[in-house]
Amino acid sequence: MSTLILPGPRRGPRERLSQLHWPLIILLTMIAGVGVITLYSVAEGNWRPWALRHGLRYIVALSILIVMGLVAIRYWMALSYPIYFAALAALAATPFIGEINMGARRWIELGGIQFQPSEAMKIGLVMALARYYHGLRAEQVSHILYLIPPALMIGAPVGLVFIQPDLGTALLLAATGIIIVFVAGLSWRIGLIGAAGAVAAGYGAYRFEFLKPYQLERILTFLNPDRDPLGQGYHLLQSKIALGSGGLDGKGFMHGTQSQLKFLPEMQTDFIFTIFGEEFGFVGAVGLLLLYLAVILTGLSIAMTAKSHFARLAVIGVVATFSLYVLINTGMVMGLAPVVGVPLPLVSYGGTVMLTIMAGFGLVMSAHVHRDQDVLRSSDLL
Amino acid sequence: MPVINTHDPERQEIVSRRTFLFGGGVTLLITGIAGRLYQLQVADYEKYQDLAQENQFNRRVLTPLRGEIIDRFGNVLASNRKNFRILLIPEQSRDIDATIDKISQYVPVPDEKRARIIREIRRRGAFTPVEIENNLSWPEFSRINFELPHLSGVLPDVGETRDYPFGEASAFVIGYVGAVTDRDLAAQESDEDRTLLRQPGFKIGRDGLERTYEKELRGQAGKMNVKINAHGRVIEEFADEATPAIQGKTLTLTIDADLQQVAMKELEGESAAAVVMDTVTGDILVLASTPAFNPNDFNVGINSDLWKELNASPYKPLLNKPLSGVYPPGSTLKVLSAIAAQEAGVKPTQTAYCSGKVWYGNRYFHCWKRGGHGTVDMKGAIKHSCDVYFYEIAKQLEVDILANVARKFGLGQTYQLGVSGQKKGIVPDREWKRQYYAGQPENQPWFQGETLSVIIGQGYVTSTPLQLCVMAARVASGRAVRPRLVRAVGDLVLPEPNAPLIDIDHDHLNVVRAGMNAVTNEYGTAARSRLEDPAWQMAGKTGTSQVYQITAEDRAKGLAKPEDLPWERRDHALFISYMPFENPRYACSVVVEHGIGGSRAAGPKAREIMRAVAAKDPASRTPIDPRSLVQRAGARQREG
Repeated sequence: MSTLILPGPRRGPRERLSQLHWPLIILLTMIAGVGVITLYSVAEGNWRPWALRHGLRYIVALSILIVMGLVAIRYWMALSYPIYFAALAALAATPFIGEINMGARRWIELGGIQFQPSEAMKIGLVMALARYYHGLRAEQVSHILYLIPPALMIGAPVGLVFIQPDLGTALLLAATGIIIVFVAGLSWRIGLIGAAGAVAAGYGAYRFEFLKPYQLERILTFLNPDRDPLGQGYHLLQSKIALGSGGLDGKGFMHGTQSQLKFLPEMQTDFIFTIFGEEFGFVGAVGLLLLYLAVILTGLSIAMTAKSHFARLAVIGVVATFSLYVLINTGMVMGLAPVVGVPLPLVSYGGTVMLTIMAGFGLVMSAHVHRDQDVLRSSDLL
Repeated sequence: MPVINTHDPERQEIVSRRTFLFGGGVTLLITGIAGRLYQLQVADYEKYQDLAQENQFNRRVLTPLRGEIIDRFGNVLASNRKNFRILLIPEQSRDIDATIDKISQYVPVPDEKRARIIREIRRRGAFTPVEIENNLSWPEFSRINFELPHLSGVLPDVGETRDYPFGEASAFVIGYVGAVTDRDLAAQESDEDRTLLRQPGFKIGRDGLERTYEKELRGQAGKMNVKINAHGRVIEEFADEATPAIQGKTLTLTIDADLQQVAMKELEGESAAAVVMDTVTGDILVLASTPAFNPNDFNVGINSDLWKELNASPYKPLLNKPLSGVYPPGSTLKVLSAIAAQEAGVKPTQTAYCSGKVWYGNRYFHCWKRGGHGTVDMKGAIKHSCDVYFYEIAKQLEVDILANVARKFGLGQTYQLGVSGQKKGIVPDREWKRQYYAGQPENQPWFQGETLSVIIGQGYVTSTPLQLCVMAARVASGRAVRPRLVRAVGDLVLPEPNAPLIDIDHDHLNVVRAGMNAVTNEYGTAARSRLEDPAWQMAGKTGTSQVYQITAEDRAKGLAKPEDLPWERRDHALFISYMPFENPRYACSVVVEHGIGGSRAAGPKAREIMRAVAAKDPASRTPIDPRSLVQRAGARQREG
């Protein structure tokens, strides 16, 4: 069996620890630090209820990231399909055993711990797709027959999440999946046909009232925020006022009037970028964006240097998810994307999302530490 | 077919290319986000800065205290008291129904009220606070305050509400305030007024003086900038730069609250009215009407059951009887009939023989005294209220002369009191009848037989208790005294209305006065109502106005006496009086609906009221100076 593996240079644990991508860890920690100070400000200068727990969660999540990073990439590859199918099974079970929260069934309880199968699926889908394309040759990628499995792999969880209903996560999963398929080498021709089909489907969904009223409401409000100044549009307007009044250098830490006076909803989660932007201004907000860009580009460079195809695609999938979070959230709070309830990674308060993100970067870290290892196209990996 | 993975350069190349593409795309999008940030935070900074200021700062309207209404001695008839209430700002409430449910755990909110609140929210929009409950007790109010964190959009507030310490006794003089309606809003001249009227719980004068003097009583709204949070809670007040509200003007009335209460007590249990006037100044000291409603029930929003009850009662508690109740004057009119007779040339010494009835036209006209009075002169006719004497005069008397005298003495007209709903009553003459029967030419000519009815205060002629009091005051003074209710508005003391001598031969008046004196003091029809104190010798005249004529059929059924009739068919009892006989100062009228007889139902009440009036003299002649009162009110406001 060992002959089937093409081992890179074998290293001991201590050596591997030194192989961790420390700049990435520092970048992630800086972003989480922004989260801690912003949550401190949102709580009007209190460590509770959010800032302290956010910091502690980050430390736990970072430990998980490091441990995951030390696990060889081939093990992750081997776990891809099991993780995916376990997440899919949990998703399928959610409508029957899930907890209803805010009008949707998203949570299930497992051994006393609540978790969202849709979050696990974010990692599971990335791994499964990477695993799938790992086994394909270049000319097979755009073959119509070989497109059917990834279509099903993406379609099944997206459909299940959509009926929960959680439009935001469904779109995020779909977009991540499509990006992986695209990066794996899907031909432009098929890509364009698919895009046209998606637009047609979207129009159909609108025409046949496939969306829940609040989902439609969000999209319509996004298209015209003045439509309903006190509903969804009100929040968006307040968010823009807070950001805009922050100006070039902000109102100062803990001096954001709009946020301190509670004109904003969901300040500790979805609208946290607004708070940061109000208090630290254009300079601060762009600084945070640059941190995110640095993480994304670092992630992509890790993808480029990884030897195994699985590692490359998995890393790109994780970075894609991360990028989508950043783009949708920041776009949302300044009126460039609909208000769909996507948090700002590592800054928004919320344990599950942080765990997902950091677990994803655990994979990235593993790909970096084990960049020299390649894995067979298909075999008994363990 | 396990193929080794290491060499698939084509695949790796595509992935590298696409990764670059993806990285470039993300970089571009993040740049776009940064560009949008630049637009918001740098390019449009000022615009959003202004909007943020608007968000934070709000201009609050400071509601002025409503002016007080006081009696002639400064007793407060209408003032303001603290009103603990809870408001709801619909826009800040997550779920209005749930919030009201929660509130009703502490303060019951009946379904009817809930429906009204929801209606009001729809009408006024999401931003205007709506009053959920007012007049809370302190324990209720503090409990709500304690639970506030769980009550989204609820705003506790300490407002002011109208308070009428005398309740029923002042109802008809002052009127009451009520909630603002859309029509009120439309009637306002300026936007500022409209804004003030939209303040939660703002009340507007609905009836009586409260309505007439709305403008003066309302006061001037103030303004204050406040800093608020998103829940509308005030975080900071900029009181230094505020324009304070100015309390409305104090209204000083001519009423004497003590006497008013005495009168209300006297009339209690009856459907009745009493008016007392100063015969020199025209000041109305008493304007009583029973039964009355309690105006305090109205300013907090009257419940519909009570409203229905008030409307349905045969005692008409919503009718302001002294001003709006219309009654045939009955024999009280004989004082004017006697003057008219003299004006027409009848000598007071002329006598008539009363056998109890007179044949005129085609029927008998009966005297109230079946057996007749025998031979009476004019004074005797007044003293005994002999109908036959006046029938005999009426046979010759031109009705227009009587009508003229009636008008000179105050009948058939309304007065400037500031209370609406005054009735004119009817002073019939030839012209009146022509117009009344327009379209029925056969009824238009005046028949002399009708004069026989009118001369004893029956038939077409009607009057209000106020007019009867004015009539008594004018007979007493010989001057065209005009009644008034408001002495001063703020520190502006209104001039006493001038009272010119009435254009008649004043010797004629003396005969009437002597007759009235005989009514009470020489064993006339109201001997029982005599005031014993020689300093307060009271002259009077009884009256009984027929509501229903007892028919032969009724008599056959055994219904001979008025007590046998149902209440609403019994005769009205009336009494007019003035005192002291020499040098008169006060006049009084009392009407007791369906009281059967003036001498037994109305006279004694008038006597008791007048006794109280006499006891207050001479203080009544020197009411307090309204200017000093205004200063006192100002000091009170500053303390508050």
